[in-house]
Amino acid sequence: MKIYTGTGDRGQTSLFSGERVAKSDRRIAAYGDVDELNSSLGALVAALADKKPDLTDRLRQIQADLFQLSAILAVTPDSPAMDSLAEITDSQIMELEETIDQLDAQLPSLAGFILPGGHPTAAWAHICRTVCRRAERNVSRISDEYVAGKAASQYQLALVYLNRLSDYLFVLARYCNHLHGVSDTLWKQK
Amino acid sequence: MEAEIITFPTKLIDRRWLSTRTFEIKFRKPASYKINSGQRIQIYYQSMQRDYTPVSAPGDPEITFCIRKVDTGKFTSVLSTAEIGTRFDISAPGGYFTFKPSPRPPVFVATGTGIAPFCSMARSGVTDFTLLHGVDSPQDLYYQAKLESVAVLYMPCISRACQSSIKYFHGRVTDYLQKHLPTAVYDFYLCGRREMIRDVTWLVDEKFQDSRIYTETFY
Repeated sequence: MKIYTGTGDRGQTSLFSGERVAKSDRRIAAYGDVDELNSSLGALVAALADKKPDLTDRLRQIQADLFQLSAILAVTPDSPAMDSLAEITDSQIMELEETIDQLDAQLPSLAGFILPGGHPTAAWAHICRTVCRRAERNVSRISDEYVAGKAASQYQLALVYLNRLSDYLFVLARYCNHLHGVSDTLWKQK
Repeated sequence: MEAEIITFPTKLIDRRWLSTRTFEIKFRKPASYKINSGQRIQIYYQSMQRDYTPVSAPGDPEITFCIRKVDTGKFTSVLSTAEIGTRFDISAPGGYFTFKPSPRPPVFVATGTGIAPFCSMARSGVTDFTLLHGVDSPQDLYYQAKLESVAVLYMPCISRACQSSIKYFHGRVTDYLQKHLPTAVYDFYLCGRREMIRDVTWLVDEKFQDSRIYTETFY
């Protein structure tokens, strides 16, 4: 079985809702960033090497959430295809917040800016965090397409989810250093 | 963390040959099995599995597939010879190739047994579509009577020149679309060989801009 169809060979691609758009479309940029974030999370999971099953399980759940979010971004707001998608819910965001609080409670308090890096797992978490922020910026660029109804509320939840996920990834980076006995390096102005 | 695949046991209950190469095969529908027309199902037998889309309607008491026997295919060989009563397992239905009502006229394009989802849709009440069915010869035109009765236009597209009493277009489905479908905005549903899906998609990009395209590849 061949994976390629060639339908995108001429610079156009298909949205889940059936429209053909240029691959340079800002919507493609938005869910492309979510895809990159998902792949970066995969690298982080691989770096953690199943040493903390609770963490890797949580990250895999987040990867699944991101598929859900990508599907919503790949549907034009007025399309009936929106109805065939599972909705992002407040509880997914609350779960992220709970995880942030749990990890943060185990960390020393933060006295300033820290340099991204440290243990390789922490370095990956910082990369995920910055890709997540880019995804958030590109998702916010398509806000004018979502003005009413289910699409608008799903879009808002997607933005909140990405905002909260960046915070989680920041705390997770610090937690990864903490877990491996590596101190965060504070930024010192020259 | 392995993904858990839920399967349903079923039994082969009938097989009917439609041509020398193609047959219909019926399975008992498991209790409380829910499916939408156009969705596909994985059939499992021993260590093998394949995806097929039923031709039956969701409300039918059995699940029916239309299968073309592949000379080198192990799975179609099993399906074409297994005794009635043989146990198979099937997955929950999946995929999003379902009919989405819209103000745009629907155009269904199938090659070979890619007619399956459209047959299921027609049997579950979808009407007033244009349907192009690309086949090698008239004996591959299954379900013609049913489809013709509910379509706005049903056009067999036969690639090989042949003597036939039926009205057909001599050529590929892409040629028909290029020459005869008026330029407008449509909802295209494409099911069949990937080369057809690629060529029709490119044609839509050129001639039917702003149309929607939904696809399902049959290998």
